Amino acid sequence: MLRYGSAALVCVALLAGAYLLQATPGRGASAALSLLIGAALGVAFERGRFCFFCIFRDFIEQRNAGPLYAILMALAVSGVGYAIVFGAFLPNPASGRLAPDAHIGPVSPALVVAGLAFGIGMALSGACISGHLYRLGEGSGYAPLALAGSLIGFGVGFGTWNWLYVTTIADAPVVWLPHWIGYGGSLLLHLTILGILALLLLRHVPPLPPRPIRQLDITYLREALFRDRWNPLVTGAVVGIIGVVAYLRIEPLGVTAQLGSVARTVMNQAGWLPARLNGLDSFAGCATQVVQTITDNGWLIGGLALGAFGAALLAGRFQPAWPRAGGSVTALLGGVLMGWGAMTALGCTVGTLLSGIAAFALSGWVFGVAVFTGVWCGIALRLHRWT
Amino acid sequence: MDKTLLRTTGAAVAGALVTLAIVAIISSTRPQPTAPSTVAPTAPAAPAAASSPREPRKFEDVVVSTEWLAQNLDNPKVRVIEVSVVPGLYERGHIPGAVNFVWTTDFVDTVSRNIIAPERFQELARAAGINNDTTIVLYGDNNNWFAAWGAWVFRQYGAEDVRLLDGSRSKWEAENRELSTRAPSYPPGDFTVRQRGDLRVFLPDVLKVVRGEDNRVLVDIRSPDEFSGKIFAPEGFQELAVRAGHIPGAVNVPWKQALREDGTFKSVEELRKLYADAGVDGSKPVITYCRIGERASHTWFVLSEILGYQVALYDGSWTEYGNSVGVPIANPAGTIWGVK
Repeated sequence: MLRYGSAALVCVALLAGAYLLQATPGRGASAALSLLIGAALGVAFERGRFCFFCIFRDFIEQRNAGPLYAILMALAVSGVGYAIVFGAFLPNPASGRLAPDAHIGPVSPALVVAGLAFGIGMALSGACISGHLYRLGEGSGYAPLALAGSLIGFGVGFGTWNWLYVTTIADAPVVWLPHWIGYGGSLLLHLTILGILALLLLRHVPPLPPRPIRQLDITYLREALFRDRWNPLVTGAVVGIIGVVAYLRIEPLGVTAQLGSVARTVMNQAGWLPARLNGLDSFAGCATQVVQTITDNGWLIGGLALGAFGAALLAGRFQPAWPRAGGSVTALLGGVLMGWGAMTALGCTVGTLLSGIAAFALSGWVFGVAVFTGVWCGIALRLHRWT
Repeated sequence: MDKTLLRTTGAAVAGALVTLAIVAIISSTRPQPTAPSTVAPTAPAAPAAASSPREPRKFEDVVVSTEWLAQNLDNPKVRVIEVSVVPGLYERGHIPGAVNFVWTTDFVDTVSRNIIAPERFQELARAAGINNDTTIVLYGDNNNWFAAWGAWVFRQYGAEDVRLLDGSRSKWEAENRELSTRAPSYPPGDFTVRQRGDLRVFLPDVLKVVRGEDNRVLVDIRSPDEFSGKIFAPEGFQELAVRAGHIPGAVNVPWKQALREDGTFKSVEELRKLYADAGVDGSKPVITYCRIGERASHTWFVLSEILGYQVALYDGSWTEYGNSVGVPIANPAGTIWGVK
């Protein structure tokens, strides 16, 4: 009963927060909607255990590709949605202009190195940044350490940015598929690649457990929604839809802009920030700024943690645990690697991988492959044994 | 190490190498950027005295209210254009039927520091369904900064009826008026550029004023701290000059003083008094400038279009003047090369 009461309280807090935000002058509907989009994402992540690291690990360690279908589904659904939204935002993709603020980034060796570092950081800390955000809601003791580590990593990233920008990023191509083959062609290619991957992975899907015939009643619904892990296809579709809604109304999904902005602001005040971050503000991505307030992205990640908290309460998965000493060190270290990777790649598994691939950007695919490889290396080296 | 682990590690390393190889290939074989076509700079303006400004128009004929615009959205003679700085703002909701003009590509040349070339502008205007007798209403974010810049470009290229939305985009939003995400399309118009030279001045024209060879009044619309040279530019702006201060003889009327708290224009009487108190009463031709020229186009609009004075914009502004060799500056704050 306590569980339901607390979950209801979280729900009320989210709604009240959204109401207050939309009534606050200067914030308005976009902050309120960001909070709610974050909450929805938190629920979907928690209920579907949409954690990039766990999904990759299941495949790498146990050859279980089942959870991978959540990612493929999210990419397929958001690809369809992005194509529709792009058509309204930028009717002619051949004009040489990029769709406004879509996460289409430069494809450089730095992006690959950032992806590898991010993947190894995931293995070290036991989850990616969005994974840690939703695990914060599950009471994970490692999540705060990993997130703190990612703030440090962002700081390191600002320190190395100017050098990387001048040597590799500035001249790197920004490849946006619709520029060459239009939205229809891009979507066709996008779905074909995802379809081929899905077919190839079919061999690695374990047999489904037998399902007894059930009456579709309130008990069943409650269990399906609040207790059992969601089907990967359902989770993926929900994440994909949320991604499209976020792009249509606010900005592409991403969970690191506010974290990076906090790091940038703190460093700026301490005088540690390079006086000029060349070209950084000219790229679309999980853009960071020197800010004094909570941005829409801040409300989104706040909503994500709260939404996951509510969902975890209902499912009985809220189990606060103190971190162990060894794990604490690797969580922090992994966080630093992820922060550096997310800063250099202009986003993480959500901002650059999900929102990038959905936007038909080559940078999203390259980052995705690099992250997967990094996780593979990390697991092969057993870096995840401490967390 | 057992065999499986060895195999896995091998596969992982191979994967990393393949990824690196792909990226290296892409990086090395990408096409070189095509040489951008250069556009000959517009010839320096003819002396301003050569052409006389048009009769002052009524306030309602250069500044439209949100009510007026709401009633005229379906008027085929009216074309609404949004010029906002924040990317994605127009796309996520604009005044229904409004066309998007992007200031970095549609109002300025992408190669030379200049306004957009006439042929290209004519193309864009026609694509937006604009004729020479169309009433053009511009609006945007940031208190219409770049909408005013757009108005200045339209007027230079011969558009007669160019208006700004009073209170900018924020007033339309604050009144909870309708927004649309649909990109409009119009049958091509037949707008033909007729270039005017009296709305813009270049560095030599400004130097004539400084040397007392031309009797014009310079209005610096930046903040008092930029004007005095205490600071080089407001925080966060990248484009700077190596010297701080202002053009000798200029008067300082920050652009925002022309607006009320809610972002709407002050009344014509208030505006006339505001500038007259600073010595700008329309008896002498005026030159406005700021840092890169965009805020000064706001004041250009007030003085030229609302008050009907003879006004030209010096869009080279302080980033050109303060960087130029051999030109005198006024720097009451005493900052030389950033040190006192």
